[in-house]
Amino acid sequence: MTEEHTHEVVDGTPEMDEPRIGVYICDCGVNIAATVDTKAVTEHASKLPYVVIAKNYKYMCSDPGQNLIKDDIKEYNLNRVVVASCTPRMHEPTFRAAVVEAGLNPCLFEMANIREHCSWIHKEMDSATVKAIKIVELSVARAPLLEPLTAAEVGVTRVGLVVGGGIAGVRAARDIADRGFPVHLVEREPYLGGRIIWLSKLFPLRKCEEDCVGDCAPCFVTPELKEAVNNPNIHVHVNSEVSDLDGYVGNFNVKIKENPLYVDKDRCTLCGECTKVCPVSVKNDNDYGMSERKAIYRPSEAAVPVTYVLDDVNCSYFTGGQCEGHPLCVDACKFGAINIDAKERTVEAEVGAIVVATGSDNYDASQKSELLPQHPRVMTAPEFERISSHLGPTKGELLVNGTKPEKVAFISCVGSREGTGNTYCSRVCCMYTAKEAHTVRKKLPDAKITVYYTDVRTFGKGHDEFYVKVLNEDVQYRQRELGHRLEVVENGPNVVVRAEGHDDFEADLVVLATGMVPRSDAAEVMRLFNISRSADGFYLEAHPKLRPIDTFTDGVFLAGCCQFPKDITDTMFQASGAAARACGILSSPKLSLGEAVAFADETCTGCGQCVETCQYSAISLEEKDGKVVAVVNDILCKACGTCIAACPSGSMQQKHYTDEQVLAMISAMGGSSV
Amino acid sequence: MDVDRLSEQARSYPEVVLTKTHPFLCSEEGQTLIQNDIKENGLDRVVVAACSPKLHERTFKRALEEAELNPHCLEMANIREQCAWVHMKEPEKATAKAGSLIAASLARASTIEPLEIEESEVTKAAMVIGGGVAGIQAALDIADNGFKVYLVEKEPSIGGKMAQLDKTFPTLDCSACILTPKMVDAARHPNIELVTYADVKEVKGSIGNFTVKVLKKPRYIDVDKCVGCGNCAEECRMAGRVPNEFDENLGKRGAAYIPFPQAVPLKYVIDPNSCLLITKGVCGKTLKCADACKPGAVDFDQKPEEVDIDVGAIVIATGYDLYDAKLKKDLGYGELEGVINGMDFERLICANGPLEGDFSINGKKPTTAAFISCVGSREKDGNHHCSRFCCMYSAKQAHMIKERVGDGNVAVYYTDMRAFGKDFEEFFVRVKTEGIDYRRRELDSELKIEKKGEGLVVKANGYPDFDADLVVLSVGATPVEGTGFLSNAMRIERSPDGFFKESHPVLSPADSMGPGIFLAGCAQGPKDIPDSVAQASAAAAKVSEILSMDKIESDPPTANVIRSKCAACLTCSRVCPYNAIETSGVTFAQVIPTQCVGCGICTASCPGEAIVLPNFEDMNVETTLEKLLASNPTPSGEQQIIAFCCDHGAYEAADLCGTMRLDLPVQFKILRLPCSGKVEVQHLLRAVELGADGVMVIGCKDGNCHYRNGSERAGNRVAAAKELLKEIGVDESRLEMFNLSSSLAEEFREIVVNMTERARTLGPTFQKREVSA
Repeated sequence: MTEEHTHEVVDGTPEMDEPRIGVYICDCGVNIAATVDTKAVTEHASKLPYVVIAKNYKYMCSDPGQNLIKDDIKEYNLNRVVVASCTPRMHEPTFRAAVVEAGLNPCLFEMANIREHCSWIHKEMDSATVKAIKIVELSVARAPLLEPLTAAEVGVTRVGLVVGGGIAGVRAARDIADRGFPVHLVEREPYLGGRIIWLSKLFPLRKCEEDCVGDCAPCFVTPELKEAVNNPNIHVHVNSEVSDLDGYVGNFNVKIKENPLYVDKDRCTLCGECTKVCPVSVKNDNDYGMSERKAIYRPSEAAVPVTYVLDDVNCSYFTGGQCEGHPLCVDACKFGAINIDAKERTVEAEVGAIVVATGSDNYDASQKSELLPQHPRVMTAPEFERISSHLGPTKGELLVNGTKPEKVAFISCVGSREGTGNTYCSRVCCMYTAKEAHTVRKKLPDAKITVYYTDVRTFGKGHDEFYVKVLNEDVQYRQRELGHRLEVVENGPNVVVRAEGHDDFEADLVVLATGMVPRSDAAEVMRLFNISRSADGFYLEAHPKLRPIDTFTDGVFLAGCCQFPKDITDTMFQASGAAARACGILSSPKLSLGEAVAFADETCTGCGQCVETCQYSAISLEEKDGKVVAVVNDILCKACGTCIAACPSGSMQQKHYTDEQVLAMISAMGGSSV
Repeated sequence: MDVDRLSEQARSYPEVVLTKTHPFLCSEEGQTLIQNDIKENGLDRVVVAACSPKLHERTFKRALEEAELNPHCLEMANIREQCAWVHMKEPEKATAKAGSLIAASLARASTIEPLEIEESEVTKAAMVIGGGVAGIQAALDIADNGFKVYLVEKEPSIGGKMAQLDKTFPTLDCSACILTPKMVDAARHPNIELVTYADVKEVKGSIGNFTVKVLKKPRYIDVDKCVGCGNCAEECRMAGRVPNEFDENLGKRGAAYIPFPQAVPLKYVIDPNSCLLITKGVCGKTLKCADACKPGAVDFDQKPEEVDIDVGAIVIATGYDLYDAKLKKDLGYGELEGVINGMDFERLICANGPLEGDFSINGKKPTTAAFISCVGSREKDGNHHCSRFCCMYSAKQAHMIKERVGDGNVAVYYTDMRAFGKDFEEFFVRVKTEGIDYRRRELDSELKIEKKGEGLVVKANGYPDFDADLVVLSVGATPVEGTGFLSNAMRIERSPDGFFKESHPVLSPADSMGPGIFLAGCAQGPKDIPDSVAQASAAAAKVSEILSMDKIESDPPTANVIRSKCAACLTCSRVCPYNAIETSGVTFAQVIPTQCVGCGICTASCPGEAIVLPNFEDMNVETTLEKLLASNPTPSGEQQIIAFCCDHGAYEAADLCGTMRLDLPVQFKILRLPCSGKVEVQHLLRAVELGADGVMVIGCKDGNCHYRNGSERAGNRVAAAKELLKEIGVDESRLEMFNLSSSLAEEFREIVVNMTERARTLGPTFQKREVSA
């Protein structure tokens, strides 16, 4: 049985408004008591200024221990509590909860760590006891200066915003919507789906023993996109971009600029009459110039929303060409679906959390002159995807300049794993190269196929199994080191691949496995959403392992290739994950933040040093009473205290860590009390 | 197409009260027209002949609902995508075909019934099985979404494999330092209840309403009293004598112990396999642990306790096991001193490990080291899969040992260096420049480790022998023990590699094959910490979506069992890809409506016709067939082709033919089914009997079936029906199975044209019509 042992010293009765401190010293069984004379510490504490009562108990964190504190607060009218026990990282929340239950503000509680910082790291009872007394003195010195504080609380606009309508953005938006929150989905192009709808097939092809036309990308993706458009909780803004953002977690204000499609998607029946009469023909960028399209066109059979769209940059009504004043398409449309006078508009919305899913760009292979990127027999992998897609310019027939290639070379790591430049691995190229080599083998059974690679990075589920299968399909994999010479040289109508250590390979098609790079406007978007980028130029996550989806800006999350190249599977994880994180915010009625926030006192001169220093953009300079001063946003402040140290005039202060409190502890440290 | 003529024709059917035409029925005005007519004329069925139901079925169903008519009383005739747009050159014939499509829809409309949504309550709590970093993250995210979570862990502490690691790649930060705050967060979260030292025994129920039986193993320590002081462990007579599993058995603990100092919850446990009192019945003169425990927490009377926990959704985050390197005889693990595996390395070098970070092998500090990659991964026979994290952990460990051996040689034998994550490649490049010898080898080339003098030698094909004091085997991940049990208990499939199978590897990789059950981390396949954490959050998103619903609603039609016919053979339950048919303790099959997706696969499999899919019953299908083939033979003598199309790959490809204005033979007609797996042999025969000259069954690509395996079953049924056709003397090639995906319009056209051509060559099935409709 436990032996009740309390040591009680009651000091006089100070004024009501004076601090009345209760000090509680824990034995922690023998964890503290074996090295520290807790009775001596209690005795000593009881004599310190403002201490009304000091008690010693074997397990302060136990229920009886906590009750001891609660009863004393009432009985002795305590208004400060100091517990000397283990690390506050362990039980501070426990004791804070206890004092709150007894009607005290949690910030009037103070903890002295005499276990991890004392009894466990010392062996000598005498000196350890002296140190424990010192630690308690420090806390007791601080305690009278503690002030009751209330955590800032802020309401939450229970609406989400997803920026980028690729597969990552669509997945995130659907998950937020299905969780029950309205969500704005903003896409710059006139259609959803991003890069995925332009792919031929998705790796790793399953069930492809025989014909291998399964896993067709549009077949999978288009129904997913339609689900997003049909979801009543999702407001889809295509042909749109976020033009302005302010506010903070739970309460962002966003401006969405919607550019007109000029075609009413609900009226368009896809009859195609508009396209027939359109006099303007331009190269189709989505097919990398391998096909042409009209100024009014359907981006792809797989595109969602299902409608024609008008490209006002090329339309001759807008450029002052043939249709000026008299648009032919408008007349041709029997359904009155074309509104040539449609104007751009700006939608303003309030949102509580944001998912950035803006994707990546293709590496521009024209930088690699040694690979002859401009040669008609050399193409990049995204171009190859178009000619192998049944919705592409060749309807899936592998044709290069109108002929079927017979000798195909694939070159890996183009624009990835560079010594200088893009030092990173683009993560998807090895698998798509294996898939494309397999596609060539299926479509052209007699073709010679060679893959130049460095390391085959087929690491995903079922991926290595697929690679092994491709290896067995008479595809020659040639290993090379990255620094070694590899070039493509002209040879009559064809080209030759010359790689150090390998025989020359004559090819009538060379496919460059280009990697991913940050989007050209990544810096702009970064500033708009107040997020950061890592050295590789992609957006920076808050912690590579523990918070791979979060950013340093509260309420802003990352999904997909804007954070780093990744395949669709991994993108889906991140996208749904971002939705979960965003919904974590949207589902709380109020956000409660820390109490220990910074503030500038009346001596602030508005020099702006603190603004520069703050990692969380929590401080801004504002005019107050005719004077520019620093203003801290309590919601954004993370209470790190960096601004306080940076402030040259000492105007910046932090609640719960005021100069007075810190100085009181330093003073207590100096005095010899034992 | 002559719309007015169609309207007039339709009015001549006896059951038709009124017909109307409208330029845009889908517009607000068109819908209001329908709604007014429903109210004014008391219509109880509505047929809309318009575009594809894939486009506007939702719209019209909503209109019916607003007019207080059951939405299932709607029937659509697709006379645009599947008629007007694919027969643009033959308007006359197109009109005739549209007439027959409308007639079929009208006939079907008379046979269909209003269907009601069934609801079940949702238990607003979740269970996460496995308390590693994936499970912790999933639990935290679900809890932050406002729902109660039970985090079940079989070990005495949460933390999993990550807690055992010393440093994490590529940042080299201390694993415990970044994990333990998360563990503490989980323990403190008001919405999370830790259920440690517990095993899942049984899972019952369905999405929204699972009951999980959990066995709490006795700790012999009262957790409410234990303050984590550790006095029991110190006093335990077995202290320092029992191999500690957490240290890969390289360190020792007592019978009373915690696995590691930062254990959460910080509650001790007495191991029944090594406690003298429990194993021998006596422990010295007094129970030293109980004597030492001031709060009196030691309790040898504790018994295993079974609890039933009700949850609405489950996350499986059970992690992985390390490959057992003893299986590789050439590598000498467990036999040669100095050969260790990657996790042994972590424990030996970790400051809180058995050597307190003073890395040595039997007291000797290694001066040279070799790392062998892909041990138990990428095998020709056995584990084909890549374990995804070994390349990077071996790079990290090579770096760490290089720091200690200075000028000593360090070599890594590898095949493909898979440094694919953020900052991974950069880390690998840095490690290489530290003087570590990366030796590339083919996977099947010979590699042996042998004893040489005091140390070891690595003999690898194509390289000079490498002398080393230390050889670290980069072992891969294998499915965790118990994966088989859980997959049976929850009736969810595993992939060929043995890990839990995801519902779709690309589109829904965090969903398991069981509704309401999700996957996080290495349980689904090996992955590193960032990818595990991302997947865990994804699983949390899916769980929260379910828990945020007040009720789970069924999506009619769902299958019904006719009890009088059911012999409880439970074939339906075995073929159901969605675990929607209850089997335990029933005398007849029972459908869980909220879990049934209405594919109809079971109805086509039932030998006793005891399970049916409402509105797709024999009568519904056969009536439609009769009308579609009523004009057979056509006046012009053309052959009739009927295609049973699934509602996904096939029907959408057919629609796309229309969108792309591809010409189709006009005598080709479609019967729409939810899944090709719904096709019944008798319906195929009935189509032939009614005089169809060609019968096509078109489903999704095998492996890509919207309902998982329906198209494969359809293929089997078509094969069976072909046999029967042969027996009755009908050319079996009149019946064919095809597999397509939704965007393969050209292919769709091709198979239809070919089938029509085949029927033309064969001529009519029957010379004259012998069977009346």
